[in-house]
Amino acid sequence: MTIRKSGIAALAGVAVVVAFTGATLSATPGPWSPGPANWKGDLSPITAADWNYDRAAHLLSRAGFSGTPEEIARLAAMTPERAVRSLVYYETIPNPKLKPFEESGFWDPSLTYFPDSRPAATDKALKDGGNIGVMNKPEGNRSVQPTSDRFFYWLRATELETRRVGQWFAERMLDTSHPLEEKMALFWHGHFATAEGKVRDYRKMLQQIDLFEKYATGSFSQLAIAVAQNPAMLYYLDAGVNVKGAANENFAREVMELFTMGVGNYTEKDVREAARAFTGWNFDNLDFVVDKEKHDDGVKTFLGRTGNFNGVDVLKIIFEQPVTANYMAGKLYNYFVRDEISAEQKAQLGKILRDNNYELKPMLMTMFLSKDFYSAATYGSHIKGPVEYVVTMLKQLGAEDIPGIPDFTSTTTELGQTLMNPPSVAGWAQGKSWITPAIVMERGNIARDYLFPNIVSFRDPNFLTTNAGTDGQIGDRLRHGADFTQATALADPGMMGAFDMVARERDELFNTRVSGYYAWELAYRKLIPTPRGGTRVDLTEIVAGSGAKTTDQVVDYLLGRFVRVPVPAETRNSMVAFLNTEFGTNDFNRARTYAETPLRMVTHMIMSTPEYQIN
Amino acid sequence: MRFNHLCSDAGVSRRQALKAGAAGVGFTLGSGLAPLPPIFAGMADAVAATPGKILVVFEWFGGFDGLNTVIPYGDDAYYKQRPNLAYKEKDALKLGDNMHGLQKSMIGMKKMWDEGQMAVIHGVGYEQPSFSHFSSISYWHTGAPNSGDPFGWFGRVADAIDPAGSPNFLVNVSTSQTLAVRADKHVPVVFIDPNAFARDFYAQERPVIQTLGTGTAVSDTHKYLMDITKSAQSASALVGEAWQKYGRTRNPDLNLRDLDRVAALIEADFPARLYYVPLRGSLFDTHVNQQSPHDRMVQYNSDAIWGFYQEMKRIGKDKDVAMFVHSEFGRRVPENTSLGTDHGAGNTAFVLGGGIKGGFYGEKMSLTNLVLDDNLQYTVDFRRVYATLIEEFLGYKQSEKVLQGVKYKTLGMWA
Repeated sequence: MTIRKSGIAALAGVAVVVAFTGATLSATPGPWSPGPANWKGDLSPITAADWNYDRAAHLLSRAGFSGTPEEIARLAAMTPERAVRSLVYYETIPNPKLKPFEESGFWDPSLTYFPDSRPAATDKALKDGGNIGVMNKPEGNRSVQPTSDRFFYWLRATELETRRVGQWFAERMLDTSHPLEEKMALFWHGHFATAEGKVRDYRKMLQQIDLFEKYATGSFSQLAIAVAQNPAMLYYLDAGVNVKGAANENFAREVMELFTMGVGNYTEKDVREAARAFTGWNFDNLDFVVDKEKHDDGVKTFLGRTGNFNGVDVLKIIFEQPVTANYMAGKLYNYFVRDEISAEQKAQLGKILRDNNYELKPMLMTMFLSKDFYSAATYGSHIKGPVEYVVTMLKQLGAEDIPGIPDFTSTTTELGQTLMNPPSVAGWAQGKSWITPAIVMERGNIARDYLFPNIVSFRDPNFLTTNAGTDGQIGDRLRHGADFTQATALADPGMMGAFDMVARERDELFNTRVSGYYAWELAYRKLIPTPRGGTRVDLTEIVAGSGAKTTDQVVDYLLGRFVRVPVPAETRNSMVAFLNTEFGTNDFNRARTYAETPLRMVTHMIMSTPEYQIN
Repeated sequence: MRFNHLCSDAGVSRRQALKAGAAGVGFTLGSGLAPLPPIFAGMADAVAATPGKILVVFEWFGGFDGLNTVIPYGDDAYYKQRPNLAYKEKDALKLGDNMHGLQKSMIGMKKMWDEGQMAVIHGVGYEQPSFSHFSSISYWHTGAPNSGDPFGWFGRVADAIDPAGSPNFLVNVSTSQTLAVRADKHVPVVFIDPNAFARDFYAQERPVIQTLGTGTAVSDTHKYLMDITKSAQSASALVGEAWQKYGRTRNPDLNLRDLDRVAALIEADFPARLYYVPLRGSLFDTHVNQQSPHDRMVQYNSDAIWGFYQEMKRIGKDKDVAMFVHSEFGRRVPENTSLGTDHGAGNTAFVLGGGIKGGFYGEKMSLTNLVLDDNLQYTVDFRRVYATLIEEFLGYKQSEKVLQGVKYKTLGMWA
């Protein structure tokens, strides 16, 4: 990992842009400059005269994950139209840093038809002499243990790999030259929410992320059809049990209620009829299939239309409804602009979407160029989501990689968002629900963990503990010579655990408690490790490159770099006082050789402010 | 909450009353109106339908086996379906209907039954049940089965009965925010370890940290964040203080599980009216050799509930605090081949304390007319229980505003 050059080299890069555009600019953060209040609701575009560093910073924070002052200055040097276009029409911009996901190699074809439950796995093994790629022992106690082990192996493996998938996705957000593409992929992940906890196959989740990137700012209608035929979604919304004669309404309902139209725009009969149209849709491993035997090819009446509809027909009818475009326009507006949208604006944006056959780019251009987007009402109205919070922090710091300490997935989970595991099919509630009193404190604590890696009490979340009742306790006992009975017995009857004392040594076909531990080991033998390094940035070099000389200037530069909403003078002044004390002088250059820790502390305090949580 | 009660009777909120009093407008404070405890000074109080009522949800995640918790010893079908797992009649603490008894170790809850302070609700479930723990619990959390809602039902209760979004109104004792408490207007106080609900910082940083949340807001969102930053400081301080104090007053012989946090806050007159406490870990999620862990879990939970009730009596709040116990689903009727049971549908639920009219509610589920592959047919939509708690206990008569526009028939527990 190399440290991103933030000083002279980056300024030289800016100089090229200056020469190109002929405009004057510097990478010095500009002041908070919300547009006039009467821009609210006005979708007409801003002009070049309205464009400055802060407006560019606003754009990049909303349409991406913010950036360094140099990156913002580059956007500021363009016209607003070109700046927005570079974010929305990104296809021709090289994206050299993106890495494909490197699989640990957990899966093999014997896991294709993975059983729904452990009893299903072992029952089939009993019947067939083995299951999911392993055979039963020919004789002796616990003859079906291999299948039990194998069943839990895959659960553990896909759980471990899913954490890597989440971190890889976040790494793309950090590395990309197409920030809006990743911001939209994150949006779609919450919009078409499926959770690995139910899907139990990281490969299907990876397929989805690919889809979300491919269609990020493309055709919403094509994306919706692709998602409806995506194995993760098919499994998540129970396609397998939606069959002719016994339609399961789960998918049909969600597709209208959450994915396209919103509640209240269809009847229960429409749900039932749509469910019939989707009957027989299923997947085989990673492919979409239609089981013709299970498909109901009778006549359906859906949203006032009658015909022998299949699932694609139903989706096409949904996309003929004006409400669909309005619903999506409103949801995207809420994500990128403000929590509330007027019916009039929703209709205006919906019309753009409809007029462009659900191609998102023209609507996004309008949205990001609009006076409304830069109005005082929009400025400072957005609460960063947990993933956005962490990625933005690292981007602003100029970090090259997501560090290993703290653990990325653990930190965003603490803050209420786990990639690949949204809480329900409704996705993540955005906005104010991201914040709780404990979480607002935790955000500051987590910022500190990124700036001051906790090498005292960090625990790799992929490792087990020896806590009572856990898999790790069993493993610990086995490693100390315990047999299955001793390992799974309860040492202290006062202690509790779900499975304590239940797996007494006895003639048995298998011991799931031991599998529960051993499966972690099996998975670990293949898992690609996550490097555990801290955030490698050099704030001293960054501050020196800014030209700041006094502690006042240092604090103002750091505030400008990290936070856009004005931090109250009292907080700002106490930061200056803090630096004066820690430096023993107000002269940055005099303190430069020992400035890094105080600078990290100031950054921690900036990230703990309420202002840093919003933009 | 006695202050609140008096003031609301007069049609004046406590905040208004205090303002009036402070301004010397001549509003006479009743003799029962003691001064505010200093730790709550300056806090807005909630105006709700029936003042002073506190609802605690104790969620038993993992799918507890209702049939081996409230044992239908009078039903032959029970013994036919569960030749190895069924409890004998002598192992049931009988509930007086010649049919049902509590699992033998549930002595605590049996005492509440005997005091008339426990409702056993038969057959709680919903149409088109999910057998996934996560989907089903999210249906319970949102109150929107086979559907979705970005907010939780408990959060929506808070929004409905306290539209002002008063601070510290809704508490969630949990490692992460439970979907049930997600609210539009309220900031749930979410914590698990009262000692760890705190901001970490280096000593040198303290003067700066103390300024966080001060100053002028530039947007509504900014104000919201400032308010939460300040209320986090105060809530964490209040929780910490209540917890310390409770360490001195609590009955040390009672094991309350995480309900001790609730007891601590109630004893400290914390302003919360709604507490949501999910059992940590999915400890009821057993499929093999179920009996031992299940027995221990129901025993500990039963002891904890009884202990909590004892604490409420000591504090003098037993008539004002009710508890609702549920799981995301029950278990299938027949035992499986591993001395366990698998994910099911309709289940038993409990409502306890709060001056409830104890007894059985809902219709007993048939153990012979099974549906959906050996499952019990539910008889009471769980949202009827929600509506009962909202309308009859909390006294907010428009439960449909919380339950997606549907007016569910209440069960008459406080009628």
